This record gives sequence, C-alpha cells and structure tokens, in this order.
Amino acid sequence: MAGNKGAKFLTGLTLGASMLVGAFAGEAKAQDTIKVGILHSLSGTMAISETTLKDVMLMLIEEQNKKGGLLGKKLEAVVVDPASDWPLFAEKARELISVHKVAATFGCWTSVSRKSVLPVFEELNSILFYPVQYEGEESSRNVFYTGAAPNQQAIPAVDYLAKEEGVQRWVLAGTDYVYPRTTNKVLETYLKDKGVAAADIMINYTPFGHSDWQSIVAEIKKFGSAGKKTAVVSTINGDANVPFYKELANQGIKAEDIPVVAFSVGEEELAGIDTAPLVGHLAAWNYFMSVKTPENADFIKKWQTFIKNPKRVTNDPMEAHYIGFNMWVKAVEKAGTIAPDPVIDSLVGVAVPNLTGGMSAMMPNHHITKPVLIGEVQADGQFDTVWSTPGLVVGDEWSDFLPDSKDLISDWRAPMSCGNFNVKTGKCGGKS
Amino acid sequence: MKGGFLLRGLDRSGLIFLAIVMAVGILVPALNLLVPPGNPFHVPGYAVSLVGKYLCFALLALSIDLVWGYCGILSLGHGAFFALGGYAMGMYLMRQIGARGVYANPDLPDFMVFLNWKELPWYWQGFDQFWFAAIMVVVVPGALAFLLGWFAFRSRVTGVYLSIITQAMTFALLLAFFRNDMGFGGNNGLTDFKDILGYPVQAAGTRATLFFASALALALGFLLCRAIIRSKLGKVLVAIRDAESRTRFLGYRVEHYKLFVFTLSACMAGVAGALYVPQVGIINPSEFSPAQSIEMVIWVAVGGRGTLIGPVIGAILVNFGKTYFTAAIPDFWLFALGGLFVAVTLFLPKGIVGTMGDWSRRMRRQPSSTPPDPTVKPAE
Amino acid sequence: MVLRRLLCALALGCALFAPEKSALAQADTASLIQALGEARNYSELEKAVDALAATGDSAAVPALEALSAGALYTQKLGGPVRIGIERGADLVLTDPLTGESAGTEPAGGYERIRVNNRLRRSLRGAIGALTLLSPKPEIRLAAAQAVYKNRDASALETVEEALAKESEPRVRAALELARAAIQLAGEAGDDVKLAALEIIGERGGRESLALLGQVSANASPAVAEAAQIAVQKIQASLRWWSILQNITYGISLGSVLLLAAIGLAITFGVMGVINMAHGEMVMIGAYTTFMVQEVIRTSFPGLFDVSVLIALPLAFLVAGAVGIVIERGVIRFLYGRPLETLLATWGLSLILQQAVRTIFGPTNREVGNPSWMSGAFDIGQISLTYGRLWIIVFALIVFTALMLMLRRTPLGLQMRAVTQNRRMAASMGIRTPWVDAMTFGLGSGVAGLAGVALSQIDNVSPNLGQGYIIDSFMIVIFGGVGNLWGTLVGAFTLGVVNKFLEPYAGAVLGKIFVLVFIILFIQIKPRGLFALKGRAVEQ
Repeated sequence: MAGNKGAKFLTGLTLGASMLVGAFAGEAKAQDTIKVGILHSLSGTMAISETTLKDVMLMLIEEQNKKGGLLGKKLEAVVVDPASDWPLFAEKARELISVHKVAATFGCWTSVSRKSVLPVFEELNSILFYPVQYEGEESSRNVFYTGAAPNQQAIPAVDYLAKEEGVQRWVLAGTDYVYPRTTNKVLETYLKDKGVAAADIMINYTPFGHSDWQSIVAEIKKFGSAGKKTAVVSTINGDANVPFYKELANQGIKAEDIPVVAFSVGEEELAGIDTAPLVGHLAAWNYFMSVKTPENADFIKKWQTFIKNPKRVTNDPMEAHYIGFNMWVKAVEKAGTIAPDPVIDSLVGVAVPNLTGGMSAMMPNHHITKPVLIGEVQADGQFDTVWSTPGLVVGDEWSDFLPDSKDLISDWRAPMSCGNFNVKTGKCGGKS
Repeated sequence: MKGGFLLRGLDRSGLIFLAIVMAVGILVPALNLLVPPGNPFHVPGYAVSLVGKYLCFALLALSIDLVWGYCGILSLGHGAFFALGGYAMGMYLMRQIGARGVYANPDLPDFMVFLNWKELPWYWQGFDQFWFAAIMVVVVPGALAFLLGWFAFRSRVTGVYLSIITQAMTFALLLAFFRNDMGFGGNNGLTDFKDILGYPVQAAGTRATLFFASALALALGFLLCRAIIRSKLGKVLVAIRDAESRTRFLGYRVEHYKLFVFTLSACMAGVAGALYVPQVGIINPSEFSPAQSIEMVIWVAVGGRGTLIGPVIGAILVNFGKTYFTAAIPDFWLFALGGLFVAVTLFLPKGIVGTMGDWSRRMRRQPSSTPPDPTVKPAE
Repeated sequence: MVLRRLLCALALGCALFAPEKSALAQADTASLIQALGEARNYSELEKAVDALAATGDSAAVPALEALSAGALYTQKLGGPVRIGIERGADLVLTDPLTGESAGTEPAGGYERIRVNNRLRRSLRGAIGALTLLSPKPEIRLAAAQAVYKNRDASALETVEEALAKESEPRVRAALELARAAIQLAGEAGDDVKLAALEIIGERGGRESLALLGQVSANASPAVAEAAQIAVQKIQASLRWWSILQNITYGISLGSVLLLAAIGLAITFGVMGVINMAHGEMVMIGAYTTFMVQEVIRTSFPGLFDVSVLIALPLAFLVAGAVGIVIERGVIRFLYGRPLETLLATWGLSLILQQAVRTIFGPTNREVGNPSWMSGAFDIGQISLTYGRLWIIVFALIVFTALMLMLRRTPLGLQMRAVTQNRRMAASMGIRTPWVDAMTFGLGSGVAGLAGVALSQIDNVSPNLGQGYIIDSFMIVIFGGVGNLWGTLVGAFTLGVVNKFLEPYAGAVLGKIFVLVFIILFIQIKPRGLFALKGRAVEQ
C-alpha cells in the first residue's frame, strides 16, 4: 500500500510537470506581433463592470490593426481573467509581462487590484494604463492614470451643488473602501474650508453589496429635514447602487428635494434600473454617452457594431481606455519602439482627442487633463449635461485637502523623476 | 527526541514524497538563480513565485486534511486562519517599509497617513520585530481556533452546524477587516512591501529563499501530520471521525482531542499564510471570503481526503488549473472548474489519490485491508 | 435682458390687442411662454418661469408641466415654442397654450428646453400656485402640497383666495398647512406666527421639524419659545416612531431573508443536502422575471403591471425544473454523503453563474416595478414602500402554502417519511427517488419564487445568488435544521435585531454582531432554535 501512494504521487507529479512545461512553452515563440495585455475580471463580482472594458480594448486593437497596426506589426490582444481575485491580479500581471511579453497592459478597476499589481509592474518595468476614477494619493512611473482624480470629479460636483442648487447640508455616503474614504476625507476638508459646519455633514459607510437600504434612506430623509437644502454625495460602489436607487425612488425622495450626486454610477449601471423615478439625480464624470460630438458619435457607432447590440451604452472608463490606447499608440510611434523606458518617456506630453471635443494630454504626473461634466439622469437612462468646466482640468494626484499629501508633487520627467517629491523638505520620499 | 517523534511515521511513500518536495525546493530556486535565462533548463522568476504560491496552498490543504480527513471536522473557515497568519506577516512587512512609504512617515503605514491616523494603534506594536511577528503568525490563528473550538466542541456542536459556524466566523472577520476603522488597510489590505529581514522582497535571491522555506514548511508539516496520525493520538482521531459517540463512551475526552488537532491545524494554516504573503505581495480581506474557504476544502476533496499526499496534489492541481484556464479560456474557465468539482465528487469520491489507490489494489486483487473509508461515513 | 424683452412683449401685446382683459392675459401668457424658449441659461429660464407664475393664468400650466417633464421644445432656427412627444425620429407637436395640434416634424429641427433640479423645484411651486383654484379637488390638493413644500411667499395671496372658497376638508387642511408654512417663513406678526406654529406643531413629523428649525433663528422670543416647545413635543413622539420604524424595517428585512432561506430550509433543512447552488436558483427566478418583462415590453406593453404575477409560476417551474435536473443528474448519487453535496453543488453554482453570464451578459438587467409595487405610504411617521409590503405579504403566503403542502398533502407526507427514514419509507411502497426529485424541485422552485421578489429590490446580475447564500444558511441553522417554523422565527428575529443594531453600530458592525451572536447562540443550543426532537436527530 505504501508503495502505491508513492507511485501515484509520482504519476501525479509528472502529469503536473508536463502541464507546467506546456504553460510556459509560449515563452519561446518569436515575437512577430506586438502584444497588448488586457487585465480585466471576466468573472466574479467585478465582471459586471470590467467585461465591457475588455471588449472595448478588443475593439480598439481591431481598429488599429485595420489601420495597419503599429510600427509595421499587427497588434495582438492577450486576454486573461483575474477573476476579481486580488492576488490573482498580481499573478496574471506577472504572467502577461514575463510569459507573454506584452508591450503594455490595459486593466484593473478596483483600487485594490491596482495596488496588487503595482509592485509587479515596477519590478518588471512594464506599462499599465488604469482607466477608472480613483482616490489619487499615488503616482508610479509605470502606471498611467487615465481615469479621474478626486479634483476631476468630486470637487467640481460639490461646487456645482453648492452654487447652482444652494446646498448647505451634505450627506457623504459611500461603500467602505479606500476610494470613498479618501474622497470623503477630501470633500470633508474642502467643505469645512468653505465654512460648512461639522453638524451639517453626515458621513455614512456601508459594506460592499449592501442591499437593505431602508434604514439609511430613512436616515438621509431625517438628516434632510433640518430645514437646510440637503444633497447626497454618493461614492457607493457598483452592486449596491441598484437597491439604493430603488429604495430612494420608492421612498419618494425626489431629486428636487434631496439630489444625489454619484461618482460611480454611469450609463452601464443605469442600464439595470428603471430611471423614470430618478430623473434629476446627478453624476459627475469626464464623459457622457449623450455628449454630441462627431468623435463620440463615431465611437458609439463602432462600439455598437462591434458588440453587435444597438442598445449597448458607452461610459466614462471606456473613454479613458480610448484615450489611453491612442496615447500609447502615439507614444510608441514617437519612440519608434515598444521598449518600456522610451515609451514611458515619450508618453508624457502626448495629446490625443478625447470624445467630448477636446484634446487630453498626458501630464508629467502620469495623469491626464479632462473636462468635468455634471449630468442629470434622464428617463431614458442617459445623462443630460447640465454643467461643465470651461476648460480641461489637470488630474491632481496628491490632494491639496489632505494634510500629509498637500506638500507632495509628482513629476516623472528627468531630472526630477519622482512620484512623491516633497516641496517642503525638497526630498523625494519613498527612495531609500 | 522531537526528531524521533517526527520521523517515526515515515515509510517508503512518505520518504519519496519528502524527497520530491525537497528536490523541488532546492532545484527550482537553483535552476532559477544559477542557470542563465537563455538555457532551456532555466526556470523563470514567474514560475518560482507561482509554484511557491502553490506550495503554500499545499500546506494549507494539508492542515485542512488533518482536521477533516482524520478527525471529521469540516471547517469552512480555514481561510480565516490562513489570512490571519498572512496579516501577521503583512504587518511585519508593512513596518519594515518605515520611512520609505510615499509620505515618508517613519511609523505609520501609508493608508493610515492619508486617512489621518495620528499614531500607531496598540495592536500594531511589536510587529516591527520579526520574532514577534513570527510568534503571532502561529499564536493568533491558534488562539482563535482554540477559542472557537473550546466553545464549540464542549457544547458538542458537530457536523454541518460546526461547518456553518466556522463559515460565520470567517464571514464576520471578512466584514471586520473590510472596515477601514479596523486599521488593517480595509479592502486594499497590506501591500507594496519592501523588504523582509533586510533583504528586498522582490529580489530573485529572496524569492528563491522564500520558495525554499515554503518547501521546507510543507515537508515539516507533512512530517508532523504523518507522525500524529501514526501515533496513538492519530488512532483516536480516526475513531472520533468514524464514531464519535462510541469513542466518548469508551472514555476518551473527545473534545480535548478535537480541540488539540483543530488548534494545531489552524497554526499550520497560519504559517502557510505567512509564507504566502511575501510571495504574492498582498494580503487583503478577500482571503477571508467564505468562497475562498470552500475552495480550499475542494482542493482536499479533489486530491483525496484522509490521505496526506492527496491534499497536496489537489491543491497544486486545482490551482494550476486555475492559472492555466484563466489565461487559455478566460471566458469559460468557470465551466471547467465547476465541472471538475462535480466530476470529482461523482466519479472520484475518494479523490484522485484515494481512487488511484483503489485501482491499483484491484489490479493486484488484494483484499481490502484499508482502514474504514472516510468518505462513506462523514462527520456525525 | 429678459425683463426688457418681457416688457417689449408686454408692450407689443398691449399695442396689438384691444384692451379686453382675457385677450390681454392670453397674449401676455403666450409671449411669456415664448420667452421660455428664448432663455439662454437656467437663471434666465427661472425668471421666465417666475414671470409666468406671476400672471396667475392657469392656461400656462400645460406649458410648465411639459417643461418640467422635458417635453417642451423650441425650433432651432427660432419660432414658436411647442410641446413635443417623441415618436421615432419625429416629434408630434402641439401648441402649449391652445392644445391644438401643430403637426409632426423631424426631431432634428427642434431643441429641447432643458431644466435642472432647481428649475424643476420652482416649476413645482409655480404649477402649484397656478392650480390652487382648479375645479378638481385632487389637483387642488396636489397644488396645496406643492405650495407647502416650496413655501413661496408670493403664493400667499392665492392660498388665501383658495381657502376662502374651499369646502373639501382635506384640501382645506392642506391649504391651511401651506399658509402656515408660508407665514412662518415670512415676515408676519407674532400672532400670525403663533397660530401658524400651532397648526404645524399639530401636524408633527419630520417636515414640521424642518419648518420649526428655521423659525428660532430670526423670531421674537415668544415665537422662538413656542417653536422650541413644539420641537420638543415632536421629537418625543418621533422617538417612539423610530422604534416602531426599526421594527417595521426589521420585519421587512426578515421577510426578504425568509424568502431567500425558505427554499434552503427544504433542500438543506429537510433533505440534508448542503445546497450551495441555492443562491443560483434564486438568480434563475430573477432572470425569469427579466425574461417575462422583456417579452411583455416588446409584445404586450399593456400587461406590464401583471408581469410579476406571470413571472411567479414561471419562475417556480423553471427553477424547479433545473432543481429536478440537478437532483437526478448529480445529487441522487450523493445521498448519505451530505458534505460531498457541498462540493458538487458548489461546482454547479459556478457553472450556473457562468452560464447566466454567458447568456445574459455580466451586467445588471433591468427589472421594473409594476405600478402597484412602487411608491410608498405613510403610517404615522413611518414610510413603508409598497414593494416591501407586498414582499412581506408574499413571504407569509409562501410560508403558509409550504407548511400546508408539507402537512396536508400526500406528497408532503411522503417527503417527511422519506427524509426521516428512507428505508422504512421505501418498504412501505413509497417511490423514494421520485419523492427525492420532487422535494428538491420544490425547494428550488420556492427559491425561484424568492428570485421574483428579490428582483424587485435588488440587482438582477449573475452575482445575485451569492449575496444571499450565507445569510440563508445562517438562518436555517439558527432556526434549527428541518423545522420551517424555526426558519420563520429565525428570519424575523435576525431581521429585527439587525435593524435595531444598524442605527447604533452602523451597517457593517451590526452585521458582524449578528454573526457573532449566531456563533454564540449555537454554542448554547447546538441544534438551533427549534431542534427536532426524537431519534431522527441522532442519526
């Protein structure tokens, strides 16, 4: 009996080893295409948002190949599924870079997935384009942030509410994770600086996927009945939004009474809700599908043809990928190579058209310039732009409203080449 | 004396297994470090960290098998012990970053700085010392298991009730660690580690050492489990698994045995977690999620519960499948994984190792002389 | 700018028409409506709306309502303002003042006059003030409530006028409240304010609290003191209401939990299958509702209000059928090995999730609420939504039906016989495989029913089931495996406890406390709240 087990184990091991060899065999293949990694969850909790981004990337790569590829080579998409599993993100990033030798990776949605892959991209010196609005407080040489920083979304939205709607009392409601926490910290400081009393700010955190909103909506109603105009600033994450809005609608909170401005609710999320009772609630983004520009009309048409569904919507992170991909293409053409270092250097300063009629540029802090749009929910599930910044806003990675980050700046151009330069001490932090 | 206890249960298959584990533990890092990258025998760094991760999972699977396969306690909360060990190690690694964080704060980790924490919470004290963290890696999961076990086994909570409360435990911890107010980094967890014991975490040498440490831990864990199940204690455990009431009537303090083995298993899971964290570079609350713990149990079932080699093979095989399929068929890999679980329960009820044992016995036409089959009669 | 244009228009109106009053008003309103189309930003538009409201001419109401609903259009090249209804690429146009048809034209030539929240608010007030004298009591009531909400001082005169004529008591009450609200916010004397305070204090509730909260800032001592007393009185009564509210919300949460768990109480509780695919049965039910609504939307739009009722039996059948297939295909080989059912059903749940993701896509699907399930009603100071109320009722109906089914039908008898002693039941001539399949199908079908209900309040996505599976297991274990009453009591207890903890501890900590409570409770009663007695337990 004892011998059996050993023999069995050996068989198992051989089996495993041969499969391992099979997995790594791809490495030796000659590079006749330029590979682009796509690192978006296709299963698990985040698949709901990220699958669309994978499809957008496939479309953009297909378009580019129709135009003749890049540097005379065809682009090849390498799709992997990190399955909403954060350590798996790191593993898959490593696989994309060292096994598939991708030239750049487009991916991640949640902050934790970005944090998980960040050391991998820095260690193996590769390029990541991150397309989602995030909390800031980060700047890496290897990451290009094409989503909004808090100053490109949250602060203009609050300004709009205070000025246009005369809001004096604020509910900051969010899912308990780092993006809402940081955004709310930034907003709290900002509002207090503007003279809002602490008693006029209510902060509430809920777990992921929270589905029973009765008490909290009642609480918001109560807070809103203190006689001052009240608004809700929502950083509630994806899944929890549908039940939240359903409860709002059912409890009869109209946008005229207590408007809700959301930073994580886009056209994709609204597609799952009957928006008729939500008309007038707001969202702040850098892109809306309803924006009327020729570029946008073209993009929507291509997308709906590609996905073979004339009803599919577009949203802000999709535009971020559109901008990021075009920036990368331009930078590679400028550098004449796909080697990471020259591409990273030539990316700074690249400007490409965005879908809202302007030119977005990559700044030295690896964030981009974007317009900020405030939109109101319409009955057809679209947003109607009610306000926009006059020009483009530069993404501010280190918030001026957090005590420890206000002295930091980021500039990845030589000679500074630093993600967190402290202007007070004149030192680049984080370097040993 | 102790060595004697550990080596007592060794037989030929055990020796072969140990030899393979140690050979992998030495060869893989050696081939990675010493052979130049162009050489066909070179093992890429990617494979080192990947297989290193599998080895940690294998140790974890071993710890689950010890309680489930040999004592009939189906824990759906072993992910919690694994994650707690990981967090203890992660806290040490965070403290090692020191002033190299983005805000250059010498004491506080970055996530505390930007959420305006003013000083280090008390439970973070001491983790700047490796020895302290190393003790906590074992003590924290062990203490939790002891506490839960002490209550549960004394009140004779058994079978599926026990499974569900261990699930409740890991779910509660999941929610707790998600809370940013807890001071463990919330959903982002602990990440961006710089060095361990003064060596940079990402250096090839450190990685090779960690790999070797994981292989060594697996080998030691195997020896320990083997020694336990071959001892008198092990016989009592199997008796508890097969007929708890009868064992109790024979005068054994069943709850003491269960408590011991449950706590030990949790400590092993903690060690696995501690080795896992520096190799993957992140620890966050998703390790506590009940789904994760269920998956761990499935590794054991796939490999074969009640055999010590089975869980190791199961853990490596399932995780390798996950690695392979998520890249090869990203849109359909869940069908493959789900199908595997169904197929294994239906066609290989004793897992791969158990079923292969049956086959080879049948070929030799040996009368069945194996101990009672663990899969036929589950926990009472 | 606008004012000047308005004056021009006015002058023009005066010059062109004979000074007959109605004709003058008509012209005035018409030009003011036209001004809506000429405003270039929100503040100009708001001035135009105010000017229109100031005329007191109820003929302007259709235009304002259309503006509020986003159905008022202006021609891009200049021209009359029209109400438009989109039909494909065309607009069906009507004249906002006369209501006469103005033909159908391509939508491309027109531009919608856009409004934002602030405008919608002033529109609500304006429409309210203009309809206070409407002949229909319903409209008058709505108008009074709108005026009360906006408390626009300029409406006071119209409110007085309406009050003088009003005979319907509920409209009168609403008007008095509106008057009191305006007086309290305005510059009235102390006597008037004290009288207003009394009316508002009498009414109670949060909104009154809001009104009273504004008083103390700039009022005379007497008024401020009276306001203070009224506030305290209201707050004291609200404290009681908040306890009641927690209980109501707890029951509502409990009913959701009960629905989610009750199917599991059969597959897991009665049959002993650790059914990890239970959540996916709920998901299948929800997607069935989506499919039914999709068919109704495209083919029978009139039936939308009964879509949920149609979906109920279908969801039961679909989920039940899937359950039977699973039982016949997988589970039946695993009886007597309950812990292995956990692994197989976990695999099945992965497959089902991915299947739904492949078929319907990973994004949320829209499931609408029928009109009788949307909105809320007030009991005193608690507002409960109709959707929640129906779910409570539905959960109790399902529970009762299931109870009757198990206790009073031959199938129920056979189910209990088989689960309690399989061999004995078989010897008595019961076809145990058939009963097994039916029982599992029943449990799955009930989960499908839960899916229909949950689709009304939660996401319809492939992850739907995952959110409920752990809670469901906790409830069945807490209540006692194999006992439906236990599930009922367990669900409602946990629901209410959760809702009481939430305001103090927050949603996350509240949930953690509940979990710890369950863990400790199981130590005291290792077999749950209602343990089955007898030999069956010993196994």
